[in-house]
Amino acid sequence: MHLRVTMLAALLVACTESEPAEKPAAEKPAAEDGADASSKSAEKTFSKEELAAAAENVALVPRPAEMEKALSNAGIKSRLGDMVSDRDIATEHTNLDQVAVRTGVVLADLVLTAKEAPKDKTLHKLGKLKQGFAKVGAGDDIQVTIDEMIASINNDALKGTELVQEMDELSGVLVPELETEAGEWVVPLIQAGSWLEGAHLVSGALKAESKYDAADGMLRQPAVVDYFIKYVEREGGDKAPDEVVAKLKETLNTLKEVASKPKLEQADVETIHSATGAVLTML
Amino acid sequence: MRNSFRTALAVLPLSLLGVGSSALADETEADSCLRTKIWAGYEDNWAVRTATTTTLGPGEHKIYLVTLYAGNEYQIKVCGDNNVKDVDLVLHDAEGKELARDKSDDREPSLGFKPETTATYYVAVYAADLAADVKNAGVALAVTYK
Repeated sequence: MHLRVTMLAALLVACTESEPAEKPAAEKPAAEDGADASSKSAEKTFSKEELAAAAENVALVPRPAEMEKALSNAGIKSRLGDMVSDRDIATEHTNLDQVAVRTGVVLADLVLTAKEAPKDKTLHKLGKLKQGFAKVGAGDDIQVTIDEMIASINNDALKGTELVQEMDELSGVLVPELETEAGEWVVPLIQAGSWLEGAHLVSGALKAESKYDAADGMLRQPAVVDYFIKYVEREGGDKAPDEVVAKLKETLNTLKEVASKPKLEQADVETIHSATGAVLTML
Repeated sequence: MRNSFRTALAVLPLSLLGVGSSALADETEADSCLRTKIWAGYEDNWAVRTATTTTLGPGEHKIYLVTLYAGNEYQIKVCGDNNVKDVDLVLHDAEGKELARDKSDDREPSLGFKPETTATYYVAVYAADLAADVKNAGVALAVTYK
């Protein structure tokens, strides 16, 4: 598989170096912002019950870079990348739930800091990311992708905005569809790690600028919290007790309680910041 | 300007990268089309939240729950493969109220949306019209934002 992908990549690069990657399947331009449905021949409509029953969660969880964009659009000046702690999170651990969460935090930190971090720190985090993916049994191809990124960064062929875009694709396109030997719970727990880090940084930014009136729009996401709780509390025959996972479960239940309030206040933002921080400091 | 690594990733469909739970042959075409749109979007400062691929039979649909931030601008992009003539894309709020529907009759619909409130929304993707004598089609969807 490794060789096949590498060879195919080389062949495709040779064929496409000076032209767009691939012609779209249809030339007709897509419509934008459509509410006018008069030209459609057959329109299917969906009831609330039908939507709720069939909904899949693959696109449910916002990513830290998206949180940062929302902060910026709300007029909050703090940059999340500047607030990321300078720490070395291990992605080797016997508890795979914990490895998945740790990997998610490292991924979030990478995406948020990639544009301006020193090369050696980005490379170090990528090494941790690769280690985490390997530990949870992700396929060889994600390892190949990370190796390619490491080589390109080492050669100064990948940096700045392009590096951010590569990280964006890695976390937004490859990770959500990841197949792992460990099971379907891995991706949600990687997402949980990234989201937890994002929520911690966002609540920190709101605190730093005393912008508590923006908390509802930034931090109230009960469906996301419920989604994570489902995977953290899942039954598993070989699941061993783990203090980080136990703290994560406690934090998610605190966040669920906070999200149920009609309006988030200063105290709620502080609760979110401390509850998420309580997990992150254990990593 | 793309470097070679980036070009390689852009043209390698998800199924060949070993991701995606049901990577059928017709999904690779939808993947490639969608990736082209994602890379093109980077030029205009669009970033990607999530991309995913599925297979739909005639009249079949997929529903995705998405969290969207007030203040951010979103584009939901879809690519169908050659087996499908018309894919529909519909956005609903959490109460099921229809907010927007693509008005094209083709296999590459997109919807733009700027939420007034941060909330969860439903995105429905529907195989409205498949080519003759075709049993299913590959359909790829991305949620992008800026």
